Amino acid sequence: MGELKLKDMTDQQVVQACLEGDKESYRIIVDRYKERAYYLALMFTKNHEDARDLSQEAFYRAYRALTDYDPSRPFYSWFYRILKNLCINFVNHHKRKLPMDDNLEKTTMAEGGFPDEIFEKNERAAILWKALSQLPEKDREIIVMKEFNDFSYQEISDALEIPLGSVMSRLYYARKKLLKKLQQFEGDL
Amino acid sequence: MNCEEARFLMMGYLDGELTEEQKEAFLQHVNQCPDCQAEWRGFKSLKEETGKMKFRALPEMFWDDYWQHVYNKIERGIGWIFFSLGAIIVLGFIGYEFLKDFLLNAQEPLLLRVGVGLLVFGFIIIFVSVLREKLMVRSHDKYRRIVR
Repeated sequence: MGELKLKDMTDQQVVQACLEGDKESYRIIVDRYKERAYYLALMFTKNHEDARDLSQEAFYRAYRALTDYDPSRPFYSWFYRILKNLCINFVNHHKRKLPMDDNLEKTTMAEGGFPDEIFEKNERAAILWKALSQLPEKDREIIVMKEFNDFSYQEISDALEIPLGSVMSRLYYARKKLLKKLQQFEGDL
Repeated sequence: MNCEEARFLMMGYLDGELTEEQKEAFLQHVNQCPDCQAEWRGFKSLKEETGKMKFRALPEMFWDDYWQHVYNKIERGIGWIFFSLGAIIVLGFIGYEFLKDFLLNAQEPLLLRVGVGLLVFGFIIIFVSVLREKLMVRSHDKYRRIVR
Protein backbone atom coordinates (compact mmCIF):
# COMPACT_ATOMS: atom_id res chain seq x y z
CA MET A 1 0.00 0.00 0.00
CA GLY A 2 2.83 2.32 1.02
CA GLU A 3 4.73 1.31 -2.13
CA LEU A 4 1.70 2.10 -4.27
CA LYS A 5 1.44 5.51 -2.69
CA LEU A 6 5.11 6.26 -3.36
CA LYS A 7 4.73 5.32 -7.01
CA ASP A 8 1.77 7.67 -7.34
CA MET A 9 3.88 10.65 -6.32
CA THR A 10 4.37 13.27 -9.02
CA ASP A 11 7.90 14.18 -10.10
CA GLN A 12 7.55 17.46 -8.25
CA GLN A 13 6.57 15.70 -5.02
CA VAL A 14 9.51 13.33 -5.37
CA VAL A 15 11.92 16.20 -5.95
CA GLN A 16 10.55 17.96 -2.89
CA ALA A 17 11.05 14.81 -0.80
CA CYS A 18 14.64 14.52 -2.07
CA LEU A 19 15.32 18.14 -1.20
CA GLU A 20 14.07 17.41 2.29
CA GLY A 21 16.72 14.69 2.59
CA ASP A 22 14.86 11.54 1.50
CA LYS A 23 17.42 10.11 -0.93
CA GLU A 24 15.53 6.81 -1.33
CA SER A 25 12.53 8.53 -2.91
CA TYR A 26 14.73 9.51 -5.87
CA ARG A 27 14.40 5.89 -6.91
CA ILE A 28 10.87 6.67 -8.12
CA ILE A 29 12.22 9.18 -10.62
CA VAL A 30 15.03 6.85 -11.70
CA ASP A 31 12.62 3.95 -12.23
CA ARG A 32 10.23 6.22 -14.08
CA TYR A 33 12.77 7.53 -16.59
CA LYS A 34 15.64 5.05 -16.68
CA GLU A 35 14.58 3.39 -19.93
CA ARG A 36 14.07 6.65 -21.78
CA ALA A 37 17.37 7.95 -20.46
CA TYR A 38 19.19 4.77 -21.33
CA TYR A 39 17.87 4.55 -24.89
CA LEU A 40 18.61 8.20 -25.48
CA ALA A 41 22.21 7.70 -24.34
CA LEU A 42 22.39 4.61 -26.54
CA MET A 43 21.62 6.75 -29.58
CA PHE A 44 24.82 8.65 -28.86
CA THR A 45 27.16 5.97 -27.53
CA LYS A 46 25.93 3.04 -29.59
CA ASN A 47 26.99 0.61 -26.93
CA HIS A 48 25.05 -0.67 -23.97
CA GLU A 49 27.62 -0.34 -21.22
CA ASP A 50 28.46 3.30 -21.95
CA ALA A 51 24.78 4.15 -22.34
CA ARG A 52 24.09 2.66 -18.93
CA ASP A 53 27.02 4.48 -17.30
CA LEU A 54 26.11 7.81 -18.86
CA SER A 55 22.43 7.60 -18.00
CA GLN A 56 23.31 6.70 -14.39
CA GLU A 57 25.79 9.56 -14.23
CA ALA A 58 23.09 11.90 -15.55
CA PHE A 59 20.70 10.80 -12.79
CA TYR A 60 23.43 11.40 -10.23
CA ARG A 61 24.21 14.87 -11.59
CA ALA A 62 20.51 15.72 -11.76
CA TYR A 63 20.20 14.73 -8.10
CA ARG A 64 23.07 17.02 -7.16
CA ALA A 65 21.45 19.87 -9.08
CA LEU A 66 17.86 19.35 -7.85
CA THR A 67 17.80 22.78 -6.25
CA ASP A 68 18.09 24.26 -9.78
CA TYR A 69 15.06 22.35 -11.05
CA ASP A 70 11.96 24.45 -11.68
CA PRO A 71 9.00 22.33 -10.50
CA SER A 72 6.60 24.09 -12.85
CA ARG A 73 8.38 22.40 -15.76
CA PRO A 74 8.43 18.71 -16.75
CA PHE A 75 11.27 16.89 -14.99
CA TYR A 76 12.39 14.90 -18.01
CA SER A 77 12.89 18.02 -20.15
CA TRP A 78 15.25 19.41 -17.55
CA PHE A 79 16.99 16.05 -17.10
CA TYR A 80 17.31 15.69 -20.88
CA ARG A 81 19.62 18.71 -21.06
CA ILE A 82 21.94 17.21 -18.44
CA LEU A 83 22.01 13.84 -20.19
CA LYS A 84 22.47 15.33 -23.63
CA ASN A 85 25.46 17.41 -22.51
CA LEU A 86 27.05 14.35 -20.95
CA CYS A 87 26.51 12.34 -24.12
CA ILE A 88 27.92 15.08 -26.35
CA ASN A 89 31.01 15.34 -24.14
CA PHE A 90 31.40 11.57 -24.26
CA VAL A 91 31.15 11.44 -28.06
CA ASN A 92 33.54 14.38 -28.53
CA HIS A 93 36.02 12.84 -26.11
CA HIS A 94 35.99 9.56 -28.02
CA LYS A 95 36.19 11.28 -31.39
CA ARG A 96 39.37 13.02 -30.24
CA LYS A 97 40.81 9.74 -29.00
CA LEU A 98 39.98 7.48 -31.92
CA PRO A 99 42.48 8.53 -34.61
CA MET A 100 45.39 8.02 -32.22
CA ASP A 101 44.18 4.82 -30.66
CA ASP A 102 43.66 1.82 -32.88
CA ASN A 103 42.85 -0.52 -30.01
CA LEU A 104 40.07 1.66 -28.75
CA GLU A 105 38.70 2.19 -32.23
CA LYS A 106 38.41 -1.55 -32.78
CA THR A 107 36.82 -2.06 -29.37
CA THR A 108 34.23 0.65 -29.96
CA MET A 109 33.39 -0.50 -33.46
CA ALA A 110 33.06 -4.13 -32.45
CA GLU A 111 30.70 -3.16 -29.65
CA GLY A 112 28.60 -0.84 -31.73
CA GLY A 113 27.27 -2.62 -34.78
CA PHE A 114 24.81 0.16 -35.53
CA PRO A 115 21.83 0.22 -35.83
CA ASP A 116 21.42 -3.54 -35.24
CA GLU A 117 22.78 -3.09 -31.75
CA ILE A 118 19.97 -0.69 -30.92
CA PHE A 119 17.05 -1.67 -33.10
CA GLU A 120 15.56 -4.99 -34.02
CA LYS A 121 16.82 -6.16 -37.39
CA ASN A 122 14.77 -4.62 -40.15
CA GLU A 123 16.09 -3.52 -43.51
CA ARG A 124 13.69 -0.62 -43.77
CA ALA A 125 14.73 0.64 -40.34
CA ALA A 126 18.36 0.72 -41.47
CA ILE A 127 17.45 2.90 -44.47
CA LEU A 128 15.37 5.17 -42.28
CA TRP A 129 18.22 5.52 -39.81
CA LYS A 130 20.68 6.28 -42.60
CA ALA A 131 18.39 9.03 -43.88
CA LEU A 132 17.93 10.37 -40.37
CA SER A 133 21.66 10.44 -39.70
CA GLN A 134 22.16 12.67 -42.73
CA LEU A 135 19.83 15.37 -41.49
CA PRO A 136 21.16 18.52 -39.82
CA GLU A 137 21.65 18.06 -36.07
CA LYS A 138 18.67 20.25 -35.12
CA ASP A 139 16.26 18.29 -37.31
CA ARG A 140 17.59 14.93 -36.22
CA GLU A 141 17.31 15.87 -32.58
CA ILE A 142 13.65 16.82 -32.67
CA ILE A 143 12.72 13.68 -34.62
CA VAL A 144 14.62 11.44 -32.22
CA MET A 145 12.97 13.16 -29.26
CA LYS A 146 9.50 12.63 -30.67
CA GLU A 147 9.79 9.26 -32.38
CA PHE A 148 12.27 7.38 -30.24
CA ASN A 149 12.15 9.01 -26.83
CA ASP A 150 8.41 9.60 -26.33
CA PHE A 151 8.65 13.33 -25.71
CA SER A 152 5.35 15.18 -25.58
CA TYR A 153 5.21 18.56 -27.33
CA GLN A 154 5.28 20.25 -23.94
CA GLU A 155 8.44 18.36 -23.00
CA ILE A 156 10.10 19.23 -26.32
CA SER A 157 9.11 22.85 -25.87
CA ASP A 158 10.71 22.94 -22.42
CA ALA A 159 13.80 20.95 -23.32
CA LEU A 160 14.61 23.01 -26.41
CA GLU A 161 13.30 26.25 -24.89
CA ILE A 162 11.05 27.02 -27.86
CA PRO A 163 7.32 27.91 -27.91
CA LEU A 164 4.82 25.08 -28.39
CA GLY A 165 3.87 26.40 -31.83
CA SER A 166 7.50 26.18 -32.93
CA VAL A 167 7.61 22.52 -31.95
CA MET A 168 5.05 21.78 -34.66
CA SER A 169 6.78 23.92 -37.27
CA ARG A 170 10.21 22.47 -36.52
CA LEU A 171 8.84 18.95 -36.63
CA TYR A 172 7.16 19.72 -39.93
CA TYR A 173 10.37 20.91 -41.60
CA ALA A 174 12.46 18.13 -40.06
CA ARG A 175 10.06 15.40 -41.20
CA LYS A 176 9.79 17.00 -44.61
CA LYS A 177 13.59 16.78 -44.97
CA LEU A 178 13.55 13.20 -43.76
CA LEU A 179 10.92 12.25 -46.33
CA LYS A 180 13.00 13.90 -49.03
CA LYS A 181 16.11 11.97 -47.99
CA LEU A 182 14.15 8.72 -47.97
CA GLN A 183 12.87 9.41 -51.46
CA GLN A 184 16.46 10.03 -52.59
CA PHE A 185 17.57 6.68 -51.17
CA GLU A 186 14.62 4.90 -52.73
CA GLY A 187 15.48 6.50 -56.07
CA ASP A 188 19.07 5.23 -55.71
CA LEU A 189 17.99 1.65 -55.06
CA MET B 1 -7.21 28.18 -42.36
CA ASN B 2 -4.46 28.35 -44.97
CA CYS B 3 -2.10 25.55 -46.03
CA GLU B 4 0.79 26.76 -43.88
CA GLU B 5 -1.29 26.64 -40.71
CA ALA B 6 -2.67 23.25 -41.73
CA ARG B 7 0.83 21.84 -42.28
CA PHE B 8 1.91 22.66 -38.76
CA LEU B 9 -1.34 21.31 -37.31
CA MET B 10 -0.74 18.20 -39.38
CA MET B 11 2.15 17.39 -37.04
CA GLY B 12 -0.04 17.80 -33.99
CA TYR B 13 -2.72 15.60 -35.53
CA LEU B 14 -0.15 12.94 -36.41
CA ASP B 15 1.23 12.93 -32.87
CA GLY B 16 -2.13 13.15 -31.10
CA GLU B 17 -1.42 16.57 -29.65
CA LEU B 18 -4.36 18.62 -30.96
CA THR B 19 -7.44 19.83 -29.13
CA GLU B 20 -10.84 18.77 -30.50
CA GLU B 21 -11.30 22.23 -31.95
CA GLN B 22 -7.92 22.15 -33.72
CA LYS B 23 -8.61 18.66 -35.05
CA GLU B 24 -11.88 19.76 -36.53
CA ALA B 25 -10.37 22.81 -38.22
CA PHE B 26 -7.48 20.76 -39.55
CA LEU B 27 -9.70 17.98 -40.97
CA GLN B 28 -11.98 20.51 -42.57
CA HIS B 29 -9.03 22.03 -44.43
CA VAL B 30 -7.39 18.74 -45.42
CA ASN B 31 -10.61 17.31 -46.82
CA GLN B 32 -10.79 20.22 -49.25
CA CYS B 33 -7.10 20.61 -50.11
CA PRO B 34 -5.44 18.03 -52.43
CA ASP B 35 -1.92 19.40 -51.75
CA CYS B 36 -2.29 18.96 -48.00
CA GLN B 37 -3.85 15.54 -48.53
CA ALA B 38 -0.77 14.44 -50.49
CA GLU B 39 1.52 15.74 -47.76
CA TRP B 40 -0.60 14.06 -45.12
CA ARG B 41 -0.23 10.68 -46.80
CA GLY B 42 3.57 11.06 -46.88
CA PHE B 43 3.82 12.03 -43.22
CA LYS B 44 1.41 9.31 -42.16
CA SER B 45 3.46 6.60 -43.83
CA LEU B 46 6.65 8.04 -42.33
CA LYS B 47 5.09 7.95 -38.88
CA GLU B 48 4.07 4.33 -39.44
CA GLU B 49 7.60 3.43 -40.47
CA THR B 50 9.26 5.09 -37.48
CA GLY B 51 6.65 3.40 -35.29
CA LYS B 52 7.88 0.04 -36.59
CA MET B 53 11.45 0.72 -35.46
CA LYS B 54 11.58 -1.14 -32.17
CA PHE B 55 14.41 -0.96 -29.68
CA ARG B 56 16.00 -4.28 -28.96
CA ALA B 57 14.44 -5.66 -25.81
CA LEU B 58 16.87 -5.95 -22.91
CA PRO B 59 16.86 -8.78 -20.38
CA GLU B 60 15.10 -7.91 -17.14
CA MET B 61 18.34 -8.47 -15.20
CA PHE B 62 19.89 -5.54 -17.11
CA TRP B 63 17.97 -3.21 -14.82
CA ASP B 64 18.57 -5.15 -11.61
CA ASP B 65 21.26 -2.99 -10.06
CA TYR B 66 20.60 0.18 -12.03
CA TRP B 67 19.18 2.11 -9.08
CA GLN B 68 21.85 0.77 -6.73
CA HIS B 69 24.58 2.28 -8.92
CA VAL B 70 22.87 5.67 -8.97
CA TYR B 71 22.38 5.51 -5.21
CA ASN B 72 26.04 4.60 -4.66
CA LYS B 73 27.11 7.56 -6.77
CA ILE B 74 24.92 9.87 -4.67
CA GLU B 75 26.33 8.46 -1.43
CA ARG B 76 29.92 8.58 -2.67
CA GLY B 77 29.45 12.09 -4.02
CA ILE B 78 28.77 13.31 -0.49
CA GLY B 79 31.73 11.21 0.71
CA TRP B 80 34.04 12.86 -1.81
CA ILE B 81 33.08 16.32 -0.59
CA PHE B 82 34.00 15.37 2.98
CA PHE B 83 37.14 13.61 1.76
CA SER B 84 38.29 16.73 -0.09
CA LEU B 85 37.51 19.09 2.77
CA GLY B 86 39.18 16.80 5.30
CA ALA B 87 42.27 16.33 3.13
CA ILE B 88 42.63 20.08 2.60
CA ILE B 89 42.31 20.78 6.35
CA VAL B 90 44.80 18.03 7.34
CA LEU B 91 47.35 18.89 4.66
CA GLY B 92 46.88 22.59 5.39
CA PHE B 93 47.61 21.95 9.05
CA ILE B 94 50.71 19.87 8.21
CA GLY B 95 51.89 22.58 5.84
CA TYR B 96 51.37 25.23 8.48
CA GLU B 97 53.26 23.22 11.11
CA PHE B 98 56.10 22.66 8.66
CA LEU B 99 56.39 26.33 7.72
CA LYS B 100 55.34 27.80 11.06
CA ASP B 101 58.80 29.14 11.91
CA PHE B 102 59.04 30.90 8.59
CA LEU B 103 55.45 32.20 8.49
CA LEU B 104 55.60 33.65 12.00
CA ASN B 105 59.07 35.11 11.61
CA ALA B 106 58.53 38.88 11.68
CA GLN B 107 61.97 39.42 10.20
CA GLU B 108 60.88 37.93 6.88
CA PRO B 109 59.01 40.36 4.58
CA LEU B 110 55.23 40.13 5.11
CA LEU B 111 54.57 39.95 1.36
CA LEU B 112 56.89 36.96 1.02
CA ARG B 113 55.24 35.15 3.96
CA VAL B 114 51.75 35.76 2.54
CA GLY B 115 52.97 34.61 -0.89
CA VAL B 116 54.49 31.38 0.44
CA GLY B 117 51.34 30.68 2.49
CA LEU B 118 49.09 31.12 -0.55
CA LEU B 119 51.45 29.06 -2.70
CA VAL B 120 51.37 26.13 -0.30
CA PHE B 121 47.61 26.38 0.25
CA GLY B 122 46.96 26.53 -3.51
CA PHE B 123 49.24 23.56 -4.07
CA ILE B 124 47.33 21.54 -1.47
CA ILE B 125 43.97 22.28 -3.13
CA ILE B 126 45.33 21.32 -6.57
CA PHE B 127 46.93 18.19 -5.14
CA VAL B 128 43.68 17.06 -3.49
CA SER B 129 41.72 17.83 -6.65
CA VAL B 130 44.13 15.84 -8.87
CA LEU B 131 44.25 12.98 -6.36
CA ARG B 132 40.47 12.84 -6.28
CA GLU B 133 40.26 12.89 -10.07
CA LYS B 134 42.84 10.09 -10.39
CA LEU B 135 41.01 7.95 -7.88
CA MET B 136 37.67 8.55 -9.57
CA VAL B 137 38.99 7.89 -13.08
CA ARG B 138 40.64 4.72 -11.80
CA SER B 139 37.37 3.42 -10.47
CA HIS B 140 35.34 4.38 -13.59
CA ASP B 141 37.65 4.12 -16.59
CA LYS B 142 37.26 0.68 -18.12
CA TYR B 143 39.82 1.56 -20.80
CA ARG B 144 42.59 2.15 -18.26
CA ARG B 145 44.34 -1.11 -19.12
CA ILE B 146 44.53 -0.25 -22.80
CA VAL B 147 48.13 0.58 -23.76
CA ARG B 148 48.23 3.90 -25.53
